[in-house]
Amino acid sequence: MTKTDIILETRDVKRHFVTARPIFGAPTVVRAVDGIDLLIRRGETFAIVGESGCGKSTLARLLTRLLTPSDGTVIYDGHDIGDLPEHEMRDLRRDIQFIFQDPFSSLNPRMTVGALIEEPLRVHGIGNAQARRGKVATLLSRVGLSTMSADRYPHEFSGGQRQRIGIARALACGPKVIIGDEPVSALDVSIQAQVVNILEDLKEEFGLTLVVIAHDLAVVRHMSDRVAVMYLGQIVEMGQVEDLFACPKHPYTAALIAAIPVPQIGAKLDPVQLAGDPPNPIDMPKGCRFHPRCQFAQSRCRTEAPKLSDTNGAHSVACHRADELNLSGIRDLPNTRRSSARTRFELYRTARAHSDGVKDAPATI
Amino acid sequence: MTDAEQNLLKVTDLSINVAGASPDLVRGVSFTLTKGETLCLVGESGCGKSLTALALMGLLTTPPLSVTQGSATFQGRDLLQLPSGKLQALRGNSMAMIFQEPMTSLNPVLRIGEQIAESVRRHKGVTRLEARARALEMLQRVGIPAAEKRLDEFPHQLSGGMRQRVMIAMALANDPALLLADEPTTALDVTIQAQVLDLMRDLQAETGTAMILITHDLGVVAEMADTVAVMYAGQIVEIGPAREIFEDAQHPYTIGLMSAVPSVGARSERLVTIPGVVPSAMDMPAGCRFASRCPFADEICTKIPSLVDLGQMHQAACWKAPLEVQMAQAGRISV
Repeated sequence: MTKTDIILETRDVKRHFVTARPIFGAPTVVRAVDGIDLLIRRGETFAIVGESGCGKSTLARLLTRLLTPSDGTVIYDGHDIGDLPEHEMRDLRRDIQFIFQDPFSSLNPRMTVGALIEEPLRVHGIGNAQARRGKVATLLSRVGLSTMSADRYPHEFSGGQRQRIGIARALACGPKVIIGDEPVSALDVSIQAQVVNILEDLKEEFGLTLVVIAHDLAVVRHMSDRVAVMYLGQIVEMGQVEDLFACPKHPYTAALIAAIPVPQIGAKLDPVQLAGDPPNPIDMPKGCRFHPRCQFAQSRCRTEAPKLSDTNGAHSVACHRADELNLSGIRDLPNTRRSSARTRFELYRTARAHSDGVKDAPATI
Repeated sequence: MTDAEQNLLKVTDLSINVAGASPDLVRGVSFTLTKGETLCLVGESGCGKSLTALALMGLLTTPPLSVTQGSATFQGRDLLQLPSGKLQALRGNSMAMIFQEPMTSLNPVLRIGEQIAESVRRHKGVTRLEARARALEMLQRVGIPAAEKRLDEFPHQLSGGMRQRVMIAMALANDPALLLADEPTTALDVTIQAQVLDLMRDLQAETGTAMILITHDLGVVAEMADTVAVMYAGQIVEIGPAREIFEDAQHPYTIGLMSAVPSVGARSERLVTIPGVVPSAMDMPAGCRFASRCPFADEICTKIPSLVDLGQMHQAACWKAPLEVQMAQAGRISV
């Protein structure tokens, strides 16, 4: 791997939040992100998964310097963005854009959709007013919205349409990296599929690098090339999506995979593998942070924190017992649909492909 | 099984309307529920699944919402006709509901023990101490560690999963015959969701409570349901035993929904989607409500389809069902 293959990199990056500073005694510190090394390659889709409170959103914000690291560095294309002056960072923000989870609170309700999408172009001084209007129209139709939408306000749109507006806005100034914090999790299933397809098309078309933060493992598996699994501020396992789902090496990853509800009768066999809640990130367990919930924990796990093996490798894991455990990943389930039903699904797929070519039909407004 | 158990709840032709405006938000919903059965109402936001549950509980905001027709016979009484006092005696007693957001549905300034005990005292007329003992027993049954200590804690001191367990404890405290659960695990992480679903299944097996589970997650449906009703734009478009629905889906909407979910098994090239969005109440198609998004729709779909039998207890409301047979007859495919 040459240096230029890496577009975004973190080295032992940390972000701690002080939640309380008592007059006596030590301050209460939440170690939201606690020493993460990442190498994100140009053009890949990289997913970060984990339960709520594991620090994945904080990490996403560190990658775009919406938050500054407490320690460690974040490097974008050779620049350390941790201590860039604000005006240089602003230029870099043309390259790194963010899509937020909630399409209801991330768009200014008092701006028209056209003004919202044009804003990044104006801030960066791209084109004149007329050129910008043209660009807004192109972007709108690219995400499957009518160009008439430019004069409307966000409240006139549904969740899925607003998320498309968010995507158009992120794309406006020609970014190289797009970071999506749960970009589809607030959407209904049928709308979610439309947005996932749009993201994949745009990634292809503009040669983007996508970093997706998600908790839905099925979506992650569908979209991404590589995955990092986070637990309490640290990466516990990282690898190619196929490897990681087929043979997870960390008990936490295996438990996450086992917990995915599969839409097929009789698919659920494993009893619940993971008991209890994630511990409070203020009061971190000693040793391996996962040991209080781990069914394989031994005395060593209670005292000594495991290190992530070989971050450059294809599949790295932070578990003392990774080599001896034989964990099961996703199972290949036989297709239990009756043959007539299979014909129906095939008919539907073909009919959909016919009705709108390869692209998704624009959501009519 | 006695007749009352056979038909614990029988909903017939339920329609809900907003302030006199047409069309109906929920139109002609019918289903039955037997003792211990789990019925899953599946569909996307705005399909009327929550409204249906709220109507049964007598919790619709009236006005502007109102039930325009239909009946819901529960233990021999029509829930939709009961005066509010009689309904209040049923709610939390023989029928109970669990909501999606455990934080907003628990009282933040009452200790959880008191909240559980409240419904026991209200309905069973027991003493404060007896009610507290029952609350403790329920907390232990829903698997809350150190239940005795938790009894005197406030909702904010508990995690999301624990709060949902408290909600379940509260709902089941009076051994209801019917439990309505509206997206009970949607706000939870997958690992916690798995725990809560397991718990609900175990408790249901123990108590024989019938359950209406509202969800949009087909994975949860496959895990929990005996019967599945797929709702679209206020109507049941397909209903049947869970196995039938998953293995022999008939309605194009059900097929579209199942195609749009990324599979965890084999990795698909591209997700097959349902185009467009659910039509708003103003431009609801007069005939089949799915017609505007259906790749198979033609002239006949401008007329309202009714549910037709397509197999073992399996019904779908589609002019084109069964699809493969009709397409072959129309010469569109060769089988």
